Amino acid sequence: MRFLGQSATAKDISPRSPRSIFSTERLIWLLLTTAAIAGSLFLAGYGQRSLINWGGWPQFWQFVQASLHPELDPVFLRLMGKATLITLAYAVCGTGLSLSLGLLAGILASAVWWRTLWPRWANLAQPAWLTVRAALSIPRAIHELIWGLFFLSILGLDPLVAVLAIAVPFSAIVAKVFSEILDETPSEPLQALVNTGTPPLSAFLYGLLPQALPNLLSYSFYRFECSLRSAAVLGVIGAGGLGYQILLSLQSLRYEELWTGFYALILLNGAVDTWSGLLRRKMGFTSRLDLSTGQPRNPAAQAIARDSASSRVEHPSTAYWVRFSLAGIACAIPLCFWSLRLDWTHLWSDRTGMLLRDILTQAQPGIVTIEQVRSLADLTAQTLAMSVLAMVMAGLGGVVFSFLAAQTFWLPGGILYPIGQHQRGSVGAWSLLGTSRLVLLVSRAVPTPIWALVFLYILFPGILPGAIALGLHNLGILGRLMAEVNENLEDEPVRSLRSLGASGLQTILYGFLPQNLPRFTAYSLYRWEVCLRETVIVGLVGAGGLGRLIAEQLSSFDYGGLVVTLSVFIGLTFVADLISAAMRRAVR
Amino acid sequence: MRHPSPLFELKQVSCRFNQVAALSQISLRIYPGERIALVGPSGAGKSTLLSLLNGTLAPSQGQVWVMGQNLAQARATSRRRVQRQIGMVYQQHHLIRNLAVIHNVNAGHLGYWPLWKAAWSLVWPLQVDQAAAALAQVGIADKLYARTDRLSGGQQQRVALARVLVQNPAVILADEPIASVDPERSRDIMDLLRHLSDTTGKTLVISLHEVDFARSHCDRVIGLREGKLRFDCPVSAASDSLFRDLYALSGEPQAVELR
Ligand SMILES: Nc1ncnc2c1ncn2[C@@H]1O[C@H](COP(=O)(O)OP(=O)(O)OP(=O)(O)O)[C@@H](O)[C@H]1O
Ligand SMILES: [Mg+2]
Repeated sequence: MRFLGQSATAKDISPRSPRSIFSTERLIWLLLTTAAIAGSLFLAGYGQRSLINWGGWPQFWQFVQASLHPELDPVFLRLMGKATLITLAYAVCGTGLSLSLGLLAGILASAVWWRTLWPRWANLAQPAWLTVRAALSIPRAIHELIWGLFFLSILGLDPLVAVLAIAVPFSAIVAKVFSEILDETPSEPLQALVNTGTPPLSAFLYGLLPQALPNLLSYSFYRFECSLRSAAVLGVIGAGGLGYQILLSLQSLRYEELWTGFYALILLNGAVDTWSGLLRRKMGFTSRLDLSTGQPRNPAAQAIARDSASSRVEHPSTAYWVRFSLAGIACAIPLCFWSLRLDWTHLWSDRTGMLLRDILTQAQPGIVTIEQVRSLADLTAQTLAMSVLAMVMAGLGGVVFSFLAAQTFWLPGGILYPIGQHQRGSVGAWSLLGTSRLVLLVSRAVPTPIWALVFLYILFPGILPGAIALGLHNLGILGRLMAEVNENLEDEPVRSLRSLGASGLQTILYGFLPQNLPRFTAYSLYRWEVCLRETVIVGLVGAGGLGRLIAEQLSSFDYGGLVVTLSVFIGLTFVADLISAAMRRAVR
Repeated sequence: MRHPSPLFELKQVSCRFNQVAALSQISLRIYPGERIALVGPSGAGKSTLLSLLNGTLAPSQGQVWVMGQNLAQARATSRRRVQRQIGMVYQQHHLIRNLAVIHNVNAGHLGYWPLWKAAWSLVWPLQVDQAAAALAQVGIADKLYARTDRLSGGQQQRVALARVLVQNPAVILADEPIASVDPERSRDIMDLLRHLSDTTGKTLVISLHEVDFARSHCDRVIGLREGKLRFDCPVSAASDSLFRDLYALSGEPQAVELR
């Protein structure tokens, strides 16, 4: 028998006036964003002076043409091969260190750890994890390039520089992300164990970590991709490897050599990204950054995931492939550490200590004059403008590319593949997919400062070349992330739209964007935080902002001034993180 | 009074979540070997009551005594010692979804295993025979190494039961153990619980909506509604009209299923 309440009242049936999806809060953020973009364009000099340097085009054209005949001299190739291996080794060692430190710190920074360990002292647990989180935010706020310059000045030219410059900030980032993953993992199974008398440590190990593992691993692979890009950038400041070779070639205007370096980077990045993507898919982890939206996973999606998981037939070759990869990782880490011949004693040698003391004694900020305050404010505005422009470019471009570069759209059997049409057009679809993926790969493989130097041929110096370089590099990263989001979307709702007769664009409008837009926005905002930190890199090669001042102060050993600039910069990134978090909450 | 010392004793217990009073002024005693059916419409406070009994929740007012201990004040170790004696089967299973079934069953040992043993067992499962026997008892012997989230809801329910078998507690609390299972399997599960109680003397506290099963498998019914104790009597004394009143709608728009 089924009894239904009588009171399905008139209230529910009465017609409602249409309500906009823009709540007041969202509307305010939208207006603020528009204002920020307009302001950034103004600061970039848009409409006030000419931005394009037509005089630089012939040289730019030479540079482009050189792409067709890269330097293939065997001696040079061997040099490049070695540089490639060095960059890879930096990335492997940096990732290895940051993952192990990050896991430890991440557990300590998670609320669930303290709640499980000290269930009774909830009011003590909170300060504990807040302290750990606050302590982690400082190394994270400083870009790896600045860490690199710092280590360079106390260790000299040493492979430790690159490894540490990656490991220090990345450990903190990994810790933050891991702690969020742990906190977002459903904790009921853990609680269920605790409530049947399981000691907290065992319960944590048994009830929480296994469930978090897929997300932890997937993020680890993503971190490895990031480390590889950072290793290339660190080369640019002199830490050796591919980035360094590329910079040398660019400075001596040997474009053929430059392109050899580009191709090496593209191959290396492409290989690593493909391998990591494939491995994640074979291990059954689809999304790699599912945390930045904070959306609770809905049970229906889980049920579907279960069904698809159970229908998936595990091919034995898959298992071999995964095992082979894992064994490869296990061998690669010690091999890379060995090949770089890291000499950890350098860290506590007398010379290092002396240099460190020198820097620390000089790093007493003097009295800040009004003049300085004004210039710092100017540079802060420039930095913000650069990051906003870069974010808009990367975000909008990323959304477009997310559809072009997703496997599940245009290919035969894909969602937007015309129904009833077979084979015809699939060549076009494949080449569209290939081209867009290549564009994304090239944009993210080439380090930002190199892009900035290239754009300086055709643009007048200022924040615009910096913003475009940042935007392009981040577009490459964001486009790939967003394409994966599109690929991982449950396609039943979309296919049902399709069978209703919706056109391709309608399907995107009704099926994809509503489900994915919050996540896309969250990714873009998250990327904005990254862009802001990365403005330092382009600042170093002359694009404006605080980064440029930091570069000047570093080269003139003005450590007192540097401390002031860095503090302003860190303050700025904190504020940006808060804004971004608030906006991500609003779009949820 | 049949036995001198109760397993559970609730003294004037109230439990509120912010403004919602999930339970108010409940007093009751549960003795070893009893088989209790906990009935009442959705939102009546059944899950809340079970959480109080196993120490997941502390009452906002009143005291909960379990095996002679006031759980809210007990030290962590003695509290754990009590909790090991209480097995719980949850409405939503709460299994570790991406582990193999064997590990979920072995989680029943965790109250007794040291940390190293728990860690090692994740790599190389220990006490496999016992787990296999438990799974055979609940009728899914072939799923020993299957991944838990690839099982159906009813099969997961059985894994949760197998875990309790391995834990071998003195009391089994079950929160709607047959809500997601077809009628035949429901009977199986209820039979199994009843059998455990008959053979090993385990105390049962089962929340359910199925009046027939309450009658056939339990010997005492506790009726809850809107957080209040409506009745608490032997099944023989619980009439149809008593149940009908308990589940009757009071103008609240709410769908209730009565079987
Ligand atoms: N964690 C919580 N936070 C806030 N309110 C809660 C919480 N848990 C339970 N409640 C409220 O307490 C009341 C009793 O809930 P409880 O889950 O115990 O009901 P139930 O009898 O188990 O219902 P069902 O048959 O639907 O499982 C409900 O009104 C519920 O909304
Ligand atoms: Mg319930």
